[in-house]
Amino acid sequence: MTSRLQHTIPHQSFPRRSPSSSSPPWTPLRLPQPFVPHRRRASIILLIPWSPLAPRMGTRRRTAPVSCTVAERDDEDGTGRGGTATSAAEAAARWASLIPRGVGVAPERILRLISGATSSPIGQFIESPRTFLHSVDPRIKLVWLLVLVVLPARSHIYMRLGLVLYITLLSICILPSRIWTDQLGRVALLSGILFVMLGFGSDSVPSLVQLRTPPPSVTGLSNVPSSLSGYSYIIMKLGPLQLTRKGLSVASTSACLSFTIFQSASLCLTTTPPEQLASALRWFMVPLTLVGVPVSEIILTLLLSLRFISLVLDEVRNTALGVIARRISWHQLTLMETLDVFFLYIRRIFKNIFSHAEQISKAMIARGFRGDSNMHQIYLFTDFSLGFVDFISILCLLSLIGAAVLSEQLLV
Amino acid sequence: MLQEVFSLASMPWASLSTALMKPSPRYCRCRPLIMAAEAAPAIEAHKVSFSVTNKQGKSVPILKNCSLHVPPGQVWMLLGPNGCGKSTLLKVLAGLLNPSDGTVNIKKPSSFVFQNPDHQVVMPTVEADVAFGLGKFNLTSDEVRSRVSEALEAVGMLHYSQRPIQSLSGGQKQRVAIAGALAEACKVLLLDELTTFLDEHDQIGVIKAVKNTVAASGEVAALWVTHRLEELNYADGALYMENGQIMMHGDVSSVLSFIKGKQARCRDHLHL
Repeated sequence: MTSRLQHTIPHQSFPRRSPSSSSPPWTPLRLPQPFVPHRRRASIILLIPWSPLAPRMGTRRRTAPVSCTVAERDDEDGTGRGGTATSAAEAAARWASLIPRGVGVAPERILRLISGATSSPIGQFIESPRTFLHSVDPRIKLVWLLVLVVLPARSHIYMRLGLVLYITLLSICILPSRIWTDQLGRVALLSGILFVMLGFGSDSVPSLVQLRTPPPSVTGLSNVPSSLSGYSYIIMKLGPLQLTRKGLSVASTSACLSFTIFQSASLCLTTTPPEQLASALRWFMVPLTLVGVPVSEIILTLLLSLRFISLVLDEVRNTALGVIARRISWHQLTLMETLDVFFLYIRRIFKNIFSHAEQISKAMIARGFRGDSNMHQIYLFTDFSLGFVDFISILCLLSLIGAAVLSEQLLV
Repeated sequence: MLQEVFSLASMPWASLSTALMKPSPRYCRCRPLIMAAEAAPAIEAHKVSFSVTNKQGKSVPILKNCSLHVPPGQVWMLLGPNGCGKSTLLKVLAGLLNPSDGTVNIKKPSSFVFQNPDHQVVMPTVEADVAFGLGKFNLTSDEVRSRVSEALEAVGMLHYSQRPIQSLSGGQKQRVAIAGALAEACKVLLLDELTTFLDEHDQIGVIKAVKNTVAASGEVAALWVTHRLEELNYADGALYMENGQIMMHGDVSSVLSFIKGKQARCRDHLHL
């Protein structure tokens, strides 16, 4: 097995060849040379001073450490070019041990997680499989979204839990399994954290004077007798923390609200093309033009934002992939150096995103946009027509609103 | 022959057509070119210079006295090494950059396709993006639909009309960007390394789509920046740039032999 660097690297940066080896013929090009590991060094990491131009007098010479690793493929017969199968296997094992993998290191794992993430769960329209939700009128979907934002805040706890269950089932039925597992997992985690934090945090800290149950020492009255029907304000105690009815109400409202907002929006975005959403929004907003609302500008901004979501996600992923591809030896970095790499990563993301924004604005100018949304028409190709599915959807919506109102009045 | 053609590059364009019409063995081959050159040019630049100011406040020239002339009904290729100013020249011609000196005349409307399709595609789905450029015209919805369908058909993307942009590959995005330019039915197409992300099949398809668009009306001219010499087979003329200057301007065979001569000299120099 002969290791060859596949890059043109200055010859002097290589360790010296043994005197027995014949020197290659001189060429004006610096051709790739056979790689010989340094005897004293434990790892094959070349620190090559990179200086494309000769250093000028008075200027500070900058060097950049370059880490080069080469993975090789064995020959088909399992032997290297000049050795036996055993020596080839040993050499391969040595190579494998020298490659700075760093998968077990936390920074590497974080970056791998970012680079491997998919943009599909966030705001991407999924064309197939086509479900009944795809054919529902986008205006009705927007009304559904509004109702699902208002209802959890204004209805009984059973109603909230019912809504969460309903949206969960709908997501499972409508979306492909890899999408709904990803989406529901994330939203459930967020809602769960909110529930725990608000449930135990909202009513756990005892105040000196509590409005609901002032202590007898403050009022001078005898203590309130305990409920005969089993009512207890405190539902659960966990060390210094306690879950009260007030905490449960706050926590369930916040968690259900978060769940329904995020998941219903995701469901809407995955089953509706962005232009249809924009068209529906424009349909609702057109009357506002009479009072001077810049509807065209808002719609264009919405469309550009929807386009930009994927660009930002791509940028975050690709930049993370770029850092991983550098094969950084995280073990050798101090905490500050690791943080420095992460700050560089974030700075690069922002720089690239701003560059994208600038380029897209140039493209818009090149394509005839002159800054006035009213003068540049946006064609959205949406024909609104209500069908059978839409009427069913409206009926379900009205039923849901009715159930929410009834639950508020009947259930205590 | 090479030197003879090379000497034309420094001539002003008023004298180029005269020089080309001198009786020579190449006259017959250049006849269509000369006839087209007599018509009003679709793209014309005269002694265009462009410079930027660096951090030290010094002016760095990017383009130096670039003159070119592309007649209507023709596809011209612009070649040159990386960083020689091809894309900058194209942006100056498109009006995205203001030249420091010189004049530019371009037939309107003109369309520009960027090298990176992610910079060109502005709408979230395919058909909305192709229709975006049509917003500046006063067209009916049916006409817009028809133009969008035709443009997508020309680049083989009609079945992807509803697809979100982020779900497309680099080559598919590039084809959407090209469809956007084709849909506008412009008089001038300025195309910056269109086929960078495309495979061989798509490359030929796109070249033919542009060529057909140009040939169909006879009024459209295209200036195409490329690094691929095989694309010259589809061109009516070519330009070669180096260090911000147009070194060679003429028919395809002359520019091709000029480039191959440079390659041979380079190989000799490197003893390859």
